[in-house]
Amino acid sequence: MNLCLPAVFLPLLAAPAMGVFGTRAQGAVANLVLNVIVFGFTIAVFFGPGSGLIHADGLGMIFGVLTSFVSLMTALSNLSFVWGGNEVLSLRRWRVYHAMCQVVLGSTLLGLYADNIGLLWVAVEGATIAATLGVSLPRTASALEAAWKYFILGGVGIALALFGTMLVYLAAQPALGPGLPAMSFAALTEHASKLDGSLLTLAFVFLLFGYGTKAALVPLHGWLPDAYAEGPIPLTTALSTLMLNVALIAILRYRHLMQANFAGGGGALQPGVFLLTLGLASLLLTAFSLSRRRDARRFFGFSSVEHSGIAVFAFGIGGAAAIFGGLLHMLVHTLVKSALFQALMRGAALRGSAAPGNYGFSHLRGMVHSNKYTGWLLGACVFALTGLPPSGLFASEFIIISQTIQRDPYVSLPLGLGLVLCAVAIIRNIGPLVFGHAPPHTKHQKAGIGINLVGLQLVLAFMVAFAMPWFLLHSLSSVAAALQ
Amino acid sequence: MNLVYPLAHLMGGVILLCAFSMLSQRRLAAMITLYQVQALTLSAAAFWQGFAQGAGDLYLTGLITLAIKGILLPMGMRQIVQRFNMVRAVETTMPVGLSMILGVGLIGIAVLVVLPTTVSAVSLTREDLAISLSVVLLGLLVMTLRRHAIAQVIGFLSTENGLVLAATGMPGMPFVAELSVALLVLLAFLVIGVFLFRIREHFDTLDLVGIEEIERRGR
Repeated sequence: MNLCLPAVFLPLLAAPAMGVFGTRAQGAVANLVLNVIVFGFTIAVFFGPGSGLIHADGLGMIFGVLTSFVSLMTALSNLSFVWGGNEVLSLRRWRVYHAMCQVVLGSTLLGLYADNIGLLWVAVEGATIAATLGVSLPRTASALEAAWKYFILGGVGIALALFGTMLVYLAAQPALGPGLPAMSFAALTEHASKLDGSLLTLAFVFLLFGYGTKAALVPLHGWLPDAYAEGPIPLTTALSTLMLNVALIAILRYRHLMQANFAGGGGALQPGVFLLTLGLASLLLTAFSLSRRRDARRFFGFSSVEHSGIAVFAFGIGGAAAIFGGLLHMLVHTLVKSALFQALMRGAALRGSAAPGNYGFSHLRGMVHSNKYTGWLLGACVFALTGLPPSGLFASEFIIISQTIQRDPYVSLPLGLGLVLCAVAIIRNIGPLVFGHAPPHTKHQKAGIGINLVGLQLVLAFMVAFAMPWFLLHSLSSVAAALQ
Repeated sequence: MNLVYPLAHLMGGVILLCAFSMLSQRRLAAMITLYQVQALTLSAAAFWQGFAQGAGDLYLTGLITLAIKGILLPMGMRQIVQRFNMVRAVETTMPVGLSMILGVGLIGIAVLVVLPTTVSAVSLTREDLAISLSVVLLGLLVMTLRRHAIAQVIGFLSTENGLVLAATGMPGMPFVAELSVALLVLLAFLVIGVFLFRIREHFDTLDLVGIEEIERRGR
């Protein structure tokens, strides 16, 4: 039985209805209910991965559950966002907002479960359009500008990715002939060494720049901080983090094709150099731009660029252990980021409103004076991003660094430098943000029960890194071994 | 005499020529006309490939291209241009001559990259691919050289025509019609986006809620 299909198509089919009917509150509840159902399906996928165009392999299963879990957490905190009156939107735009939440969820899952390079592309495109609409919803000048930037850069990325996709199809012609098998990841991987190596290399360059735009790798990252800073926070930040994973996984899969072709004597170049360069560029550029940001959402948007870069760097190093480290990094980072953005949203709500524009560090500083629990949790989330122990990211970064030293010692120096600089830039903000002097007229307020979700996700991120359940460990390492 | 090659190459050449002339056009209306010619040629190329390969869904691609990109999108863009009085918008970041030299360079790069890497592929696909990569790169060049939002969109539309041209030239590629529809959705949103953007600048208000309010009250 193919349980991927309901997980993908339930949100996509529900979205048009949600865009037309329902009040604001009904939309939020429907969003939550759909998320609960989809979460159930993504777990059930382990017992019915199915076959054909849309089916789940090991990678798809793990990240499918992660996606729907984070989406569920976002939908829960979305309730307080909607009821808190944080964003002033007309009813029509609230409907669009909830519909777009579902489209992003469905497309992200489609991107993870698709065993077809064309379908993967469609998924990324759909998610981009939905997220862009989300960014433009507040209709302020800066939101429209961010949406426009996102649209143009994302559109160019999507165009390049499509060209690369077609080139992969062409490269598969000698081995697989015309028709569907030449577009299936499973068939392509099986015949990787027989693909046309030089065409595959050309395709990989287009794909790397295409999906690299979606993964926000430097120098294609320009849209991300703007898009993260504008728009309703649950949609444009929390759910968008999930889309980075889809793009990174696409890059990982194509990298594996290249590597297998290279190893089998097919004539492709080794993909490592491209990935290492882009990964290091992302890491180092972020290290220098982090310290100058005043808006928290923009700041943590740059931090997403950093972590995308680290994951791509790990894929560039290659080998089962480094890929494992990269995948673990993506898992933990997604959980920590989701927790962080929820903590930020609740913190901003305590300070008046969680609408964009209220996330300046000067506006949020001294969070413990508003609410002790929220303040400490926010501090813990920010600290977790630095990758210092006991943060879950420490485990993945440790694996990546030790693999780098083993396989490619020269690049471990810039990697270490970038990591330390980023950690310093992030850690400098914790003190003022959590314990600093609060703005005048700050009152102590109640946090509400939803703040516990933040703690739950942080604990999960810690568990995934340091006390990984054996079945997850088993399947993640077999995935990494298959994709090395 | 076998007409498949000459006709396919002729249409590819017309598409490339349109993409190249966009670089030299200063008026938006002329750019839109060029885009329309390009889209019409593309739909003819899709029909021809469908006939030559005996593939039914390429006819569908051609039909969609003809109806939406050949007719509807240019009409919509002309509306926008007239409504906001942007007929004579000249905003290039570079002299036309220089941008055309850059364009020639890009075409050279496309040919030099594609032809040696595709020695094993069918020759029709090879040359089609070189042409479509040139169109894609030229479209991107237009996007970078123009400051005007609608000129950027036309550049993107031209890029997208290059992609569809490449897709129709791939031997027996599945999902071509579906992929071109997915691209069209993106294009439609882009054009609507320009419209919204223009409205904002035109009315000089930051929030469209005000405009909706005005519309509801019937001005």
